[in-house]
Amino acid sequence: MIELSNVSLEFGDRPILKDISLSINEGEIAIILGPSGAGKSSILKIILGLWQPDSGKVTVDGINIAGMSEVQILPIRSKMGIVFQANALFDSLNVEDNVAYFLREHSKLNSKDIRNKVSEILSFVNLKGTEKIYIDQLSGGMKKRVAIARALSFDPEIILYDEPTTGLDPINSKSILDLIKRVSNRGATSVVVTHILNDAISIGDTLSVINEGAVVQTGTVHDLLNSKNPFIKDFFYEVYQDAALLKKTISE
Amino acid sequence: MSGIAHSFKLKIFGLQEYSLMLVEIFKGFPKFLRTWSDAVNEMYWIGARAFLPVLLGGIFVGIILALETGHQLDHFGAKTLVGRTVSLGMIRELGPVITGLLLAARTGAKNASELGAMQISEQIDALRAFGTSPVIKLVIPRTVAAVVMFLPLTAIADLSGILSGMIVTKLSLNVDTSFFWHSALSALLMKDIFVGFIKPFFFAFFISTISCYYGFSTRGGTAALGKTTINAVVVSSLIVLVLDFIFTKVVWELL
Repeated sequence: MIELSNVSLEFGDRPILKDISLSINEGEIAIILGPSGAGKSSILKIILGLWQPDSGKVTVDGINIAGMSEVQILPIRSKMGIVFQANALFDSLNVEDNVAYFLREHSKLNSKDIRNKVSEILSFVNLKGTEKIYIDQLSGGMKKRVAIARALSFDPEIILYDEPTTGLDPINSKSILDLIKRVSNRGATSVVVTHILNDAISIGDTLSVINEGAVVQTGTVHDLLNSKNPFIKDFFYEVYQDAALLKKTISE
Repeated sequence: MSGIAHSFKLKIFGLQEYSLMLVEIFKGFPKFLRTWSDAVNEMYWIGARAFLPVLLGGIFVGIILALETGHQLDHFGAKTLVGRTVSLGMIRELGPVITGLLLAARTGAKNASELGAMQISEQIDALRAFGTSPVIKLVIPRTVAAVVMFLPLTAIADLSGILSGMIVTKLSLNVDTSFFWHSALSALLMKDIFVGFIKPFFFAFFISTISCYYGFSTRGGTAALGKTTINAVVVSSLIVLVLDFIFTKVVWELL
């Protein structure tokens, strides 16, 4: 469904992505995992066509979007919803207007149908009754849910999540991860960028580990846990430690 | 040396980006009606809320102009000509320039900081992700609002400057108001009024588009936002003065 072939990106003399190749299948939850500054968010922006790669192909639903103009890319973009790292909610609008934004701009639905649709999505993300609240009055977890609701508003085939649990407490993180799984169960393809290993393991079908702009290894959790690659071993050290701690706690 | 070359390259790149934004503004203008309500909201902030500073600016510039020129003219026994210098000075030069500079500070800072904050918080990317052109949604309504509101604001600055000049001339130089008005009106030609009122359109357009461009170009955090806001205000103010020079020197001579 999404394929990146030999994608490279530089800002000035600084390489951001180096010859990245990735393949994401329909309906799966694909995790892009790596330390901060590895180039993970850049991959999402390239998939969405917000940034253009310097070289390589970016194929979404069989169409290469690399080099497309902003107008040409719009029909492809309308298949994708995105949840930004800092949510990027429009703070001059209330929850309802944020979630309804795409529908009001691009759909032919009348205002009553839009209100019903917004209400249905807000129920799905457990935010019913928050329609008239302004963004600055919401907690971090609620803002993230509104951002997910906005991304879901037009039933996109693909949803991109940029660090969806960063800055959230463990309870809110878990509820957001559950929400991502529920969204995936509705049939959407999900691409989740994160640096949090436990999140990646708990929801990911496939994991691609990125470091310094290059893909280190792609595979299932099992593949990566058994990897001999020193970077992967270092990155997964936390899991081995947790497992050892758990084992010790149980034996005690 | 390489630092200077790099800085020069960045300036040229910035100019190119600004030019591309202008092209997008002209291309997107037919879709302006879709954002009419945003433009009306901006008119309130750019226009109605700027009434008092522009009024006060006009009053004090008018007073200073009348006092300074009045005392000089008095040496030659020509203080009855104060009305002429005040009306010409206000309508041709100082009314548009003082309005332009006040609005470069006010509107320029508003546009650059608002759009800069939206850029930092990825709201601009979100607009693009949801299929909305940030130029059509954010720049065109602000520019239309500025172009529409600058003209009445300039008229307010002109009028308040001339009236305050008249009052101070009467009180300080004992020149009768009828002399002042006669001198003020007889000196004014149609082309004075034309040049005085064509300037605000250009000032408004460039102040708005330059400050929006600086907002879009914000990268980094709050410190970057501060820098781009300062740059937007400084460049907008300089553009007002440069355009004023062009109009005074070139357009005036062509007419």
